[in-house]
Amino acid sequence: MATVTENATSVGMGQIGSGQGAATFRSVLGSCIGLAFYNPRIKAGTFAHIVLPEAADRPGSKGKFADTAIPEMIRIMQSYGVMPGGIVAKMAGGANMFGHGGPMQIGDMNTKAVKSGLEKAGIKILFEDTGGQKGRRVVFDCRDGEYLVQTVEHTLRTT
Amino acid sequence: MLPTKTAHETNLEFLHQLFASATHDASAAMCRWTDGLITLSLDEVLEIPLEDVCSELNIDDELLTMVVLSLVGEVGGEMILTFDEENGRQLAASLLHRPVNREEQWSALEQSALCETGNILGCAYMNALTRLIDAELVPTPPYFIQDFGASVLEQALITQAATCDKVLICRTAFHREGEELNWRVIFVPTKKMQDLMEQELV
Repeated sequence: MATVTENATSVGMGQIGSGQGAATFRSVLGSCIGLAFYNPRIKAGTFAHIVLPEAADRPGSKGKFADTAIPEMIRIMQSYGVMPGGIVAKMAGGANMFGHGGPMQIGDMNTKAVKSGLEKAGIKILFEDTGGQKGRRVVFDCRDGEYLVQTVEHTLRTT
Repeated sequence: MLPTKTAHETNLEFLHQLFASATHDASAAMCRWTDGLITLSLDEVLEIPLEDVCSELNIDDELLTMVVLSLVGEVGGEMILTFDEENGRQLAASLLHRPVNREEQWSALEQSALCETGNILGCAYMNALTRLIDAELVPTPPYFIQDFGASVLEQALITQAATCDKVLICRTAFHREGEELNWRVIFVPTKKMQDLMEQELV
């Protein structure tokens, strides 16, 4: 379960947080993806810290893998009365921190898997900041849907 | 009746012994590299649920200076040497016999001094592990990186995360004249390396 730190709930690797109104979630990302679903009408949202592209019978929570996190997040939004057509997605992360090159660029694989899963589910991506070689600190606020992305060099913000 | 140890606790104890031996070799190498100034000792060998790693190690969005070495292949892992800004600068200055640089950017020479430190530590660990598990370990060149600590740790955990829900981490403390420094080495072995180590020890 995600843990509350100061005013924001810290969402660790493989965890999913959700809330309505005054709920705020934060994560620090490298190759993982911070995926947020939001409905502006009822101000409900859910946030997952996705670690790997696919479960393929591997152990882990639903939030750990892109192909299990997205259906679980849809289920959570439905519990707030929001159907997939009413969800907007925002995402960040998917960096390749060590820059070694090579065949297994897990950050890129995570980004592709999440985007493919969202396309299949018919969920529109409203904001994306992925790739590169830098870590990201992200904060997602359910009051207005703001998704804040900070790297050591710059800040991006979207509502 | 005395509480009995689980097989899991016994394995962690064995792994602790193995890493303590490797850390002893690394400490001797570090002592030579810094003219007797710096030593290190094994802090802990921990098995932590994936979602709790950053909070357990108290690594979050602090900006850290790090040197990363990867041991590539199935029997591999990631070694991360971390410093806060002040300690990293001080080490570089002492190795280069220069005053501490206060410029925002790290010079190529400072980066090189820290990478070489990572190389020396990494090789000492690797040599010790090679002797113990009788496997060929192939390191990448050391990689200098300044970023959020949790972002780098997250990437280092990916290989273990692909096969396990808990991750094994070896954490080392550094000392200068008996005083603990804000430096750390975090070693994250792959599952295959853990299995080999356990086979050798049991």
